[in-house]
Amino acid sequence: MSLRKQTPSDFLKQIIGRPVVVKLNSGVDYRGVLACLDGYMNIAVEQTEEYVNGQLKNKYGDAFLRGNNLLYISTQKRKM
Amino acid sequence: ITFTPNTNELQFYIFNICHYPRFCPFLVDKCIGSRIHIVMKNDKEIVGTLLGFDDFVNMVLEDVTEFEITPEGRRITKLDQILLNGNNITMLIPGGEGPEV
Repeated sequence: MSLRKQTPSDFLKQIIGRPVVVKLNSGVDYRGVLACLDGYMNIAVEQTEEYVNGQLKNKYGDAFLRGNNLLYISTQKRKM
Repeated sequence: ITFTPNTNELQFYIFNICHYPRFCPFLVDKCIGSRIHIVMKNDKEIVGTLLGFDDFVNMVLEDVTEFEITPEGRRITKLDQILLNGNNITMLIPGGEGPEV
């Protein structure tokens, strides 16, 4: 557990290429590999799975998510 | 009445009148390294260890638990790190453990 101070921009640099969970303000969840992102938290995700209420709804090869809708971006080691 | 200040007037305003000329993160900065409980706008709460933040109070957290405040009190636990969008943050509670579930 690395506890050195880490700003959002550092975090963003290091998570590219990693599997992530992205939650939108609407509560919809997306899991995939983070292809790229920018300072507005706009992101592009590959092999995306869309979860609504915990249920898999859709799969997309590539997805672009506009940053203003994002609640959080999380790296993916997940347990319920 | 229009307010179109030149640079000097603007500087005067920022340095002498405006209470938050640049965001003053001292209190948030003190929380780095400890647990923090974050209340969001939409019946959601997040508890995690604060790793860092930026001018917009977007926050990097670790070892995060996400709570959805519903009648059943659903909880989701994520390990590793998250970047939380500061847009929806309502309240920060240092050392908080989150809602009782």
